[in-house]
Amino acid sequence: MAPLRFNAMHFMPYVHLPENHKEFKTTWVNFPNKFYDPEKGHELYQQYFEQLVLADRLGFDAIVLNEHHNTVYSMMATPNVVASALIPQVQKARICVWGVPPNFMLPNRLAEEYAILDVMSKGRLEIAFPLGTGMEYWSNPVSPVTAREKFRESLKVMLQAWTTDGPTTHYGKFYTYRFLNPWPRPYQKPHPPCYIVGTGSPETIELAAELGFGYSSVFVPQKTALELNQRLRDRATHYGHTIRPEQLPLLNFVYVAETQEQAEGEYIIHLQRFFEDYARSSPQWLAPPGYVSLEQLKIRAAGSDRMHGGFDFKAISGSFFIAVGTPEKVANLIGDWATRMGTNHINSVMHVADMPHWKAVKNMTLFAEQVMPRLRSSGGAR
Amino acid sequence: MSKFVREELTVNGVKTVVYTAGTGDPLVVFHGAGTVDGFDFAEPWVEKYRVIFPYHPGFGESDDDPSITDIHDYVMHYLDLFDALKLDKFNLVGLSMGGYLAAKFASEHRHRIKKLVLIAPYGLYVPEHPTADIIAIPGEEIVPMLVSNFETFKQRLPERPDVEFIGARYREATSFARLFWEHPTDPKFPRYLHRIKMPTLIVWGDEDKLIPVQQAQTWRKLIPNSEVMIMKRAGHIVQHDKPETVEAIGRFLG
Repeated sequence: MAPLRFNAMHFMPYVHLPENHKEFKTTWVNFPNKFYDPEKGHELYQQYFEQLVLADRLGFDAIVLNEHHNTVYSMMATPNVVASALIPQVQKARICVWGVPPNFMLPNRLAEEYAILDVMSKGRLEIAFPLGTGMEYWSNPVSPVTAREKFRESLKVMLQAWTTDGPTTHYGKFYTYRFLNPWPRPYQKPHPPCYIVGTGSPETIELAAELGFGYSSVFVPQKTALELNQRLRDRATHYGHTIRPEQLPLLNFVYVAETQEQAEGEYIIHLQRFFEDYARSSPQWLAPPGYVSLEQLKIRAAGSDRMHGGFDFKAISGSFFIAVGTPEKVANLIGDWATRMGTNHINSVMHVADMPHWKAVKNMTLFAEQVMPRLRSSGGAR
Repeated sequence: MSKFVREELTVNGVKTVVYTAGTGDPLVVFHGAGTVDGFDFAEPWVEKYRVIFPYHPGFGESDDDPSITDIHDYVMHYLDLFDALKLDKFNLVGLSMGGYLAAKFASEHRHRIKKLVLIAPYGLYVPEHPTADIIAIPGEEIVPMLVSNFETFKQRLPERPDVEFIGARYREATSFARLFWEHPTDPKFPRYLHRIKMPTLIVWGDEDKLIPVQQAQTWRKLIPNSEVMIMKRAGHIVQHDKPETVEAIGRFLG
């Protein structure tokens, strides 16, 4: 297998939750934005940018940004703005915008923004296309009922914009382009590496397979992630594509410390707050009408959605990709995951919830200096 | 309920279920966006009318038709269904979203409607008395908002919402959202209501928590030959709280 690749992913949460925040059923969609203090927000951006620039200096292969709306979970409502601020500071690492839900943008405009980032970074951009969580549909004036259809058409427009010399035309259900001819065009040819990111809806996997895109499952148990990777490989073969290991980013949560006790002591409280407070949503927010098929809805209704509220560290770290401990333990876990999942692409969240700056810096430093070398020398295949 | 006969038709490839009872002059009933309340309330009309209760595609026992994306598509669906049922002229009663559909149908095909009854109809934008955004209200909160007398309404609901019940409501919410997520109302709709010339009765509960009773007067002004009947201590599903509403509508129909 090709050498492992390491990403540092960040959510850039707004960490100053009000004392009484537990009184709010969710911290998404209708959580009052009066609780956002821009002065504190400014300080947080400074810290988070510092962390991602440090990731580059420490030798991480990529930094990863993403988009969410109306929530403390993320201060990256528009990640391309954040990416453009980071590009001049992040000198070697690839810049992953994973990503903007195309449904909330005009597709030509998103194609342009990504092309600009790719040209500015001299071909270091990578893109993931999320449908957008249910919460984003409550927060944007776009119908969840036709979301999947629109998503598909947006991707078609963007790929056409990047791969066919313009001007071209597009007459679709949602968009009409008489002159699709965006300037600039991407630095990488035919376009930056593309992934689809999601929680494993069959429709989404099928689309990734059809387009030969990578796929990153997020917030699904290990067992499901394994099945999804296999399904993508199988379905991609059906469309004449071969999925390479690097096309299967493995989202995981990592905290490294000197001892196991220290790692758990320093980390678990933040991970707990991440799930209980920052990811606190509701069934209504997660599945607006038409966002999932009736079949999927019934599956969701039958089982409770553990990833959004409710926390049991042992249970969670047993079924999801969470590595907390000494460098050796973390390296072993990641090596095993990579082998089992058939990937060499390790996408690690190095900062969660209200983790203070020093812990994030220490975590990334120990990871870069003591975990990455162990895995790079082993080549990932154990 | 026992009087009604179930019939399955295929309309434009979509299974459409129609319940019919009685003989006499046809009376079509358009249900609202949720079919929990059923149609047994319509029994008293069966003595005098041939009562026809179709399930809209996307609701109740009819199949889905994702190509129906606005209220006018439902009008077109009903033109086809009424052809299949060989219905020419009839009385039309519409509840809530079904009231919007009934008014839309009547404004476009007025020669076919003898008398029109709109029960707490959806569809008007009245800024001073706005309709609650029923898409945004969580399911468990909206059900008690439907009626004034929730204790008796509860009998129609499962004790604990099971997967099938939740699934059925999600499906109907999806069909509703397909029409109204991006545009809850059509600003052009009131412009054509003057074309409704047949005798029209507008029925409202004075405790309607979803569509304020004050909207009744807006409808009355827009529909020339209309009158308003307000039921006291009744919520959105007027006939549940005040079963005598059904007899009163019967008297209007003649």
